[in-house]
Amino acid sequence: MNYFPWLTIVVLLPIAGGSLIFLFPHRGNKVIKWYTICICLIDLLITAYAFCYHFQLDDPLIQLTENYKWINFFDFYWRFGIDGLSIGPILLTGFITTIATLAAQPVTRESRLFHFLMLAMYSGQIGPFSCQDILLFFIMWELELIPVYILLSMWGGKKRLYSATKFILYTAGSSIFLLMGILGIGLYSSNEPTLNFETLTNQSYPGVLEIIFYMGFLFTFAVKLPIIPLHTWLPDTHGEAHYSTCMLLAGILLKMGAYGLVRINMELLPHAHSIFSPWLMLLGSIQIIYAASTSLGQRNLKKRIAYSSVSHMGFIIIGIGSISDTGLNGAILQIISHGFIGAALFFLAGTGYDRLRLLYLDQMGGMAIPMPKIFTVFSILSMASLALPGMSGFVAELMIFFGILTSQKYLLMTKILIILLNTIGMILTPIYSLSMLRQMFYGYKLFNTPNSYFFDSGPRELFISISILIPVIGIGIYPDFIFSFSVDKVEAILSNFF
Amino acid sequence: MEYTHQSLWIIPFIPLPVPMLIGAGLLFFPTATKNLRRRWAFLSILLLGIVMLFSVALSIDQINNNKSFIYQYVWSWTINNDLSLEFGYLIDSLTLIMLILITTVGILVLIYSDNYMSHDQGYLRFFAYMSFFNASMLGLVTSSNLIQIYIFWELVGMCSYLLIGFWFTRPIAANACQKAFVTNRVGDFGLLLGILGLYWITGSLEFRDLFQIFNNLIFNNYLNVFFVSLCALLLFCGSVAKSAQFPLHVWLPDAMEGPTPISALIHAATMVAAGIFLVARLLPLFIAIPTIMNGIAFIGIITLFFGATLAIAQKDIKRNLAYSTMSQLGYMMLALGMGSSRAALFHLITHAYSKALLFLGSGSIIHSMETIVGYSPEKSQNMVLMGGLTKHTPITKTAFLIGTLSLCGIPPFACFWSKDLILNDSWLYSPIFSILAYFTAGLTAFYMFRIYLLVFEGYFNVHFQNINGKKKNSLYSISLWGKERKQNVKKKIYLIDLLTLINNDQKFLFFNKRAYFHRINQNVKSITRLLIDTTHFDTKNPSPFYPHESTNTMLFSMFILVLFTLLVGVIGISFSQEGTNLDILSKLLIPSIDLLHQNFPNSFDWFEFLTNATFSVSLSFFGIFIASFIYKPVYSALQNLNLKNIFEKNVRKTKILEKIINAIYDWSSNRGYLDAFFGSFFITNVRKLAKINHFIDRQVIDAIPNGIGILSFFMGEAIKYIGGGRISSYIYILLSFLFILLVICSLFLFFY
Repeated sequence: MNYFPWLTIVVLLPIAGGSLIFLFPHRGNKVIKWYTICICLIDLLITAYAFCYHFQLDDPLIQLTENYKWINFFDFYWRFGIDGLSIGPILLTGFITTIATLAAQPVTRESRLFHFLMLAMYSGQIGPFSCQDILLFFIMWELELIPVYILLSMWGGKKRLYSATKFILYTAGSSIFLLMGILGIGLYSSNEPTLNFETLTNQSYPGVLEIIFYMGFLFTFAVKLPIIPLHTWLPDTHGEAHYSTCMLLAGILLKMGAYGLVRINMELLPHAHSIFSPWLMLLGSIQIIYAASTSLGQRNLKKRIAYSSVSHMGFIIIGIGSISDTGLNGAILQIISHGFIGAALFFLAGTGYDRLRLLYLDQMGGMAIPMPKIFTVFSILSMASLALPGMSGFVAELMIFFGILTSQKYLLMTKILIILLNTIGMILTPIYSLSMLRQMFYGYKLFNTPNSYFFDSGPRELFISISILIPVIGIGIYPDFIFSFSVDKVEAILSNFF
Repeated sequence: MEYTHQSLWIIPFIPLPVPMLIGAGLLFFPTATKNLRRRWAFLSILLLGIVMLFSVALSIDQINNNKSFIYQYVWSWTINNDLSLEFGYLIDSLTLIMLILITTVGILVLIYSDNYMSHDQGYLRFFAYMSFFNASMLGLVTSSNLIQIYIFWELVGMCSYLLIGFWFTRPIAANACQKAFVTNRVGDFGLLLGILGLYWITGSLEFRDLFQIFNNLIFNNYLNVFFVSLCALLLFCGSVAKSAQFPLHVWLPDAMEGPTPISALIHAATMVAAGIFLVARLLPLFIAIPTIMNGIAFIGIITLFFGATLAIAQKDIKRNLAYSTMSQLGYMMLALGMGSSRAALFHLITHAYSKALLFLGSGSIIHSMETIVGYSPEKSQNMVLMGGLTKHTPITKTAFLIGTLSLCGIPPFACFWSKDLILNDSWLYSPIFSILAYFTAGLTAFYMFRIYLLVFEGYFNVHFQNINGKKKNSLYSISLWGKERKQNVKKKIYLIDLLTLINNDQKFLFFNKRAYFHRINQNVKSITRLLIDTTHFDTKNPSPFYPHESTNTMLFSMFILVLFTLLVGVIGISFSQEGTNLDILSKLLIPSIDLLHQNFPNSFDWFEFLTNATFSVSLSFFGIFIASFIYKPVYSALQNLNLKNIFEKNVRKTKILEKIINAIYDWSSNRGYLDAFFGSFFITNVRKLAKINHFIDRQVIDAIPNGIGILSFFMGEAIKYIGGGRISSYIYILLSFLFILLVICSLFLFFY
């Protein structure tokens, strides 16, 4: 084994590199932009290298561990480590954040601060996925809220302050429950606090207490994921934020909720999870239909995509609630797949907004002729979003369906009901995504403004779209790549249940 | 042959390089790719030709060696322990029939569309879509398990969506493609549920295992009959949507907004046959549940009758053919429901060739009409404006006539043999169904000849429209088409269009063209305006006032299809030799299931055949006769003199007859009121739901955080007010509380 602190470097490099931005001389934005992208790329490459050469796929245990005592007083460690569950989200984070930084090139206002915040987000997002200490998890969880808040309130749209406040109200408010739960779990056992995930896995609690802990954690993650009725911050936030922020929000931030649900609620509190899981499934199915039908009524393009994200998150909840091997694998795949698809859709919506300066769908139309490339990519991604076979979303949803079907926990009638509700969502999805496509691109329109001459997407935008499309289609054709990460870990998690 | 059997998995992938290369090329090197234009078409035709050779070789092998099927496992999709999604291919007679059908029609349509689309901006896009469709259709028919079927099922649906919306600047096309996709998604919803249900019952998705386990379970009575029937019904839902059967057929007529070669290939010959294919594939499963079989037959009979009644009074030539397709698909479904898969497949083949021929013929007509009346489908496909095209497009006319005769079921042509088989079998199945089916055969002849007569007989109507009718509604002057919608002419928009046309800005030329013509077709209905677009687009054409015969490329593929239509009936004709059936189709379909002929397998009776055939043919001739009676003499003296004189004797009768005719026309031109029903019922309800949900989100759920925000704001204000920082107020409060405390204390002291 080598003891090179890979994960510490991966987590700390972006924020450390980011704080150097302020030392740069005032020489325009270009240097800062490329510097940021370089940092992102280096970090992504380090991650890829470390995972490639120092991570054994067939080992369900935690690897690349690092243990440094930080605060002696209550056994607080700087403890990192990854397993099959976190490797996918970490790679996704690296990829999406790099792409989002590249997508944020047109931002010129307060460029230093913006890019510093992007890098801080990078650290704050990889942190929760890779830490193995529950208090450290909380700290990292909070760390990423601040950059989002500032990004929202400075580079957003017209109602940015309202949505930023709403965002911080929801997420910070819910974090209280996370902290309470963490302290409860940590201080429960014996005379000295245990904060290590691995030791906590084997701990058991009295029934009522476990349920209380579970509810606390669930509340936090339900805000983040989001689960209805705690979702309303999401459309506002996504509707107002700059599209690079949206990419991070939709691509990664939402997935932290799902990750937390698996990591803490499923792994640490299995008994409570098996009590709550039927309700989770029901909630998830209602969410799919509710959010999909709400999405239909949205006039704002970004809000429509945001609601579609909410709807897709329903599948993750169902996969987590199904307590079956296939279902949980499907949920993890959906985490990855929606990370790509959601980010790409927001990116394209943003590039469209950059050109048209229109956000409402009924004002658009006929964009296909001036910008055929955006049209092509947008169509492919809408298809991916409605789970067309051959794309990653389809595999994830199919796996989740099979997960419900093969789950040993539920009765036949429950399964039928849940599957029926989900498939109704499957009918609603094409309605909103295709009508979005139709309203934006199809038809014709004589734009009233005489100077409206639109550029089609340039090489940078095309590069971003293609580099997101490749994994979407690649996973859709060869999903084993993601499954090979998670399969063993999922089995290990599920062995607690039976 | 063994070696080829090993590598047959490549079949669906053979046409795939074309869309991938064109897609990548258009994204990265647009000009270079566009310069290669026709080479891409050649490449796609070549690749499809390779597949055709493959499938022909395979089917010869199959006929000679009597192999029942080839199955090969290729690779597993997931490494999950609980679930194995294995990909493989299954090639049996059913697959081979579909393979040959897809490739032959596909090649001809590709050749045809090279010319048909040659002036279109999206020429390469078109070929990319087409090749992708071919690839996924080939994948669909070779797939060996249900998940694979579902995957390709969706992919062909997507191709159909893209191709219907090919001319995306037309709002009608944009609506149509979305409608098609969503309607098909409703079917897929059933299909997926059915697949999941079957997986739950049997634990397998692979066809052979599935049938075996299923039949074992049925045999041992382990199954809940209700649940099993439900699953089968849901599976059938998928084919109902894809094959445009009764409640979910609404997308098919709208799908005619796509280019005509698409209608020939996808919406007549191959993709809509996928539903028939699926039912035929799953027939061993359905046959175990008699109620489902009856249900399939019932849906089939409704569809065939409903489609035929709707086809009676369509104005649009392609829509008319679409309803006819729907009706013929109903025949196939009926045959499947009766359990005679042989008849269904036979009709599938013959109908595919005949209908493809008809669509290509109509495409040729549309192409020649477009230069005269303009490019909007409401005009170039409007049969009211056609007429007398025999003179101008003689070859197309011959081809179209042969297709029409074949579809009507006139003896030497292909559809006669298959339709007669189905009608025969229906007589054995149920007399009521049979009567309806026979009646519809007559109707088919009627509406097909209506098309033929309107298009090719009489005089060219474009020049008569102002003379004949009222001035305002000149397009609809001929009263046979029921009532029409009156649209207000918006003068303002029209003026803008005209101005842009005059400016003729090069940058927006394509853009404006579409806009202009769409507006034209909605608003402008007088001959003068028609002349504007004629002059605008026909500078090259020496005589712009009469349609022209299409070019040789288009005629070539039509000619080949004519040959098919003439000859393809042969494969199903029985040559009774020494008491055994020797037709090719039966030989190909050895393991096929036949419910009706179980008792007398080898008794093909020529006499019975002849009597039945005479009956159906005479019905068809009756239909043709009525059609020619009504539609032929639009301008001739016959209508003005004889027809009216006959009816004038009894005025009341005439009125009743007129009422009936009007009712039928209303019924037909309103598409059986089903679209309106769906529109008012589903769409408004979904919209209402969306509004309610939006309201809940905005007003109810958001009220909580907003309330918290406002509350904390007020609290802060209140505290700010109290803690204003003025020392005098602090002292005041302090002293007042001190005073109260003193009073209370003194009271206590006083009392105790």
